[in-house]
Amino acid sequence: MTLTLTDITTTYEDFTLGPLSLVVDNEVLAVLGPSGSGKTTILSSVAGIVQPDTGSIYLNERSLIDCPIEHRDIGVVFQDGALFPHMTAYENIAYAATTPEHIDKYTTLLDIAQILDRKPAALSGGERQRVALARTLAADPSALLLDEPLSSLDTPIRRRLRGDLRALFQTLDIPVIYVTHDQQTATALGDRLAIVQAGMIKQIGTPQMIRNAPNSAFVARFTGNENLFTATVTDHNEHGAIIRIGEQTVQTTVTWTGDDCVTASIHPARIQVGSQSMNDLTDPSHSFTGTVVQQLTEGSMTRVTIAVQTADIALTATVHPPMTHQLSLIPDETVEITFSSTAVHLFARE
Amino acid sequence: MPPSQTNTTSKLSSLQRDWLSIALSLGGVLLLYYSIPLVSLLLSVQPTTIFAELANPAVQRAIVTSVFGASLSTFLATVLGLPLAYWLARRKTIWQQVTLGFVVLPLVLPPTVSGVVLLTVIGPTTLLGDVASVSGISLTRSLAGVVLAQTFVASPFVVVTAKAAIERVDETLEHASRALGKSRLQTTHKITLPLAGPGILAGVTLAFARAMGEFGATMMLAYYPRTMPVQIWVSFVSAGVERAYPVAIILLAVALISLIVLHTIAHNPWT
Repeated sequence: MTLTLTDITTTYEDFTLGPLSLVVDNEVLAVLGPSGSGKTTILSSVAGIVQPDTGSIYLNERSLIDCPIEHRDIGVVFQDGALFPHMTAYENIAYAATTPEHIDKYTTLLDIAQILDRKPAALSGGERQRVALARTLAADPSALLLDEPLSSLDTPIRRRLRGDLRALFQTLDIPVIYVTHDQQTATALGDRLAIVQAGMIKQIGTPQMIRNAPNSAFVARFTGNENLFTATVTDHNEHGAIIRIGEQTVQTTVTWTGDDCVTASIHPARIQVGSQSMNDLTDPSHSFTGTVVQQLTEGSMTRVTIAVQTADIALTATVHPPMTHQLSLIPDETVEITFSSTAVHLFARE
Repeated sequence: MPPSQTNTTSKLSSLQRDWLSIALSLGGVLLLYYSIPLVSLLLSVQPTTIFAELANPAVQRAIVTSVFGASLSTFLATVLGLPLAYWLARRKTIWQQVTLGFVVLPLVLPPTVSGVVLLTVIGPTTLLGDVASVSGISLTRSLAGVVLAQTFVASPFVVVTAKAAIERVDETLEHASRALGKSRLQTTHKITLPLAGPGILAGVTLAFARAMGEFGATMMLAYYPRTMPVQIWVSFVSAGVERAYPVAIILLAVALISLIVLHTIAHNPWT
């Protein structure tokens, strides 16, 4: 199956989506963007809840424009599950199921057999989403759309359900569009990411590709890169552009032809602190001395902010065990940081 | 708990009690204004008088006309009002506001004015009245007239209450149902109506109670056959207020039964 959106524009209330084009094969496309960026409008346009002003939507050879919601054969999992409150979990699934076998199959697969006699009000957030997913899949859709189904769940439940969803998606052989504002969920579930801002797709690619080569400061920032600095392109050589950040000169591997005033970014995961090992560190590399400003523990990972006086910037790096225990990352401690030239990206100033 | 915190909590609790006492005192005046006349009416008539009045053929005919007419007009109000309520609940346009204005108009019109308004359309000298008369149907001074008058004044209760009930049903549930392959009709039948059901039934009950009590428009359109409110008025002007009491008590009993039904079904078992 292939879901193809071509030059879609949709006006919904005061918001205009697109024009945007997407091709989703039998894969999970995670649409990632901030609130109000148009993620849900993309789903609503595909599902038929809102009618696009222009463009075409095809599921294989079948046009979905002007096709009523009920004939699109597209399953939708809504943000809060949208379970029918007057029906039990079983009745919700049976309402949608095309065959009785589907009820058994998806209640087993989603591990909800023990809660089937409960009404939605008696279910937890995670259970509600499992039932909603079973209900949608029981209708045997040809494509699946999910609108931030994990956003209202507590972190441990979200983490567990994320793992279950990943396993489930691998068993499905249909196009899946998963909308979220959560970068971790998007990268965990998406075979590809589409980064959306103000109704437009800014970048589309694999999570690794987007992390390693964001095409704009917005994409870099929204995919977890908080190291964005004002820089000036001062020269070019055979490796790429040479930039100046404060008093510091940095070699990059970027071929830059735009304005000399740029935004430079270095992803926190690509900065080495102390003697932390790093696989992608290749020459030419840069070493700075800095002072620890702050450290934040996020699960097993530690996020360290280091002030680099010579560049007049503060860089954030992520440190993982066992380095977390080996380094002294207390405030005012002097540390060495290193990053590869390939880790530096340049964007036109916004 | 520290003494200062205990004092603060105690003061807040005391203030709340004081305010509730004032609210109850003011509301109590209104409550007495409702209940005292009702109790007074009940005490003013012997049960034997009520039973004797129930044996009066004119009263029996009035009861039958009222119950049959109110049932028919409630049925019409429901069948025609529910689709309108659905449209009003789900479409947010300028026409929705204009339409809603027309719907609530009969609620604010004096009943006699409603009767006059209807007479300009279905009265004996109008085109519709003539066409109906040629077909052997009288739209005034007939059960049809009673039903038309009752429908005019009672149907807004169905539309307005059902609209509010349907609006409370999250539209996402309808989208979810349709995305599961169910048609609009199946979705309305299986999702919207069951969820809005208690609210819709409340509106239907209110419409029935309003139709039972309809007097002004009915007087203008159909003095005959007499409904119970018309019978009360006839008894009052022809034989004095005492003769009106028993029929009023019978009508009161019907209204109370309607209220009990309303209270029972208005509880939404899913919330």
